[in-house]
Amino acid sequence: MKYVFLFLLPAVWVLQACNGNFPKDPEKTLAKIQNDTLRVGYSENPPWIVKTAQEPAGLEADLVKAFAATIPTTIKWENDTEQNLLEKLEKDELHLVVAGITHDNPWKKQVSFTRPYAKQGKKKHVMAVIHGENAFIKKLEEFLYQQEAEIKKQIKP
Amino acid sequence: MKLLKSFEYPRELIPDFNKAKKLEWITIFYLLSTTALMYLVMGNSQAMKTAWFEDLLSLTPSISFLIASRIYHKAPNKNFPYGYHRVISIAYLCSSVALFAVGAFLVIDSVSTLLKAEHATIGIIVLFGKPIWLGYIMIAVLLYSSIPAVFLGRMKLPLAKKLHEKNLYTDAQMNKADWMTALAAIFGIVGIGMGWWWADATAALLISVDIIHDGFTNLKQAIFDLMDETPKTVNEQETDPLIGKVKALLAGKAWIRNCNIRLREEGHVYLGEGFVVPVSEENLTGHIEKAVKEIEELDWRIQEFVIMPVKELPSQSSA
Repeated sequence: MKYVFLFLLPAVWVLQACNGNFPKDPEKTLAKIQNDTLRVGYSENPPWIVKTAQEPAGLEADLVKAFAATIPTTIKWENDTEQNLLEKLEKDELHLVVAGITHDNPWKKQVSFTRPYAKQGKKKHVMAVIHGENAFIKKLEEFLYQQEAEIKKQIKP
Repeated sequence: MKLLKSFEYPRELIPDFNKAKKLEWITIFYLLSTTALMYLVMGNSQAMKTAWFEDLLSLTPSISFLIASRIYHKAPNKNFPYGYHRVISIAYLCSSVALFAVGAFLVIDSVSTLLKAEHATIGIIVLFGKPIWLGYIMIAVLLYSSIPAVFLGRMKLPLAKKLHEKNLYTDAQMNKADWMTALAAIFGIVGIGMGWWWADATAALLISVDIIHDGFTNLKQAIFDLMDETPKTVNEQETDPLIGKVKALLAGKAWIRNCNIRLREEGHVYLGEGFVVPVSEENLTGHIEKAVKEIEELDWRIQEFVIMPVKELPSQSSA
């Protein structure tokens, strides 16, 4: 009888899951982004992400812009080295970092990566995201999954 | 050299022993399947990693049981005049160390998660062309790794008591630890989904207290058994009432004025000595041989009992 609590929570969860907003963000990131901005760090890594005089360009920049339009929200771009950006991401000061990162990047222990959205040769490409904000991450991963076929056309094998 | 008798379980217990072996084989294959599945879906959830590690460790009692069961009944020989019974006690030690380690690992892991305030990320997985939140898949795998464990554990308990198999008993407790950690991990994943990053570690912490308790009790008993503590029962770790029966049998003999005994546990069986002060020396050898036979027939667990006639009881001998 000591472990009754273990069965109570799944019951609550079933109710939540039916409600449709599952999983949730511990820090309400997705809701905050809607009212504020999506803070994206980028570090040049052509052709994935290219620095220009104005907004960044390249495949990843396009993906992030299209994703922001689905929320909808505006993007606040921040340019720096990959190292500095990932350090900021680790401290939850950014929501997302794009820098042509691949799944075997050693930072994967400190920050969270999305599931690979593209493959070039043996390298699987990912984006680095704020950790534990699962509603936000799920939305981004679902978006990237929908774009997979389109992305494939743009990548040289 | 006087060798110990070769040992097999009494005929009526052989089916039970075979059933125990079968259960352990099932446990091994089942655990291997759950560890493989969990490895595939574990992602970077700490709760899942813990449950996975726990599953790997929980293979120890079943494997050590099966290894020991191939060795313990070998006939005693020149090099091992007492036979191979102790291998059971060694297997029991291995299992209880594993059980204790699972509990300790769980405590360290969940405390560190809480202190570092780690927020686990669980993303999506694409199954058959459909994106699904990985948490749902994890819960399904965890349910698979918990429900059969409940039944396996329950089936092992009565067999462990009948066979005087402490290793099997520990394994039953390990199965309990398995399903409890799996449920804790489910709790954790649902908690993560609710946005409660701490739920996972808190549930694991609560459950680890119970596992550590079981692990510690068994670890202590395994060490005591190897140190020749007086025999204890499998489940409650109480002094075996069989010792009292042996004492009473000797005390009831007219030719014995005074006596004292000691027994020790070697795996499934007991060995022991009795020191008796005879009333007279008339037909002493005959009396001793008859008493030994009666004692060894009291229970299959008494493998060998030696009676030593003395003029006075040695002081400080045990009850």
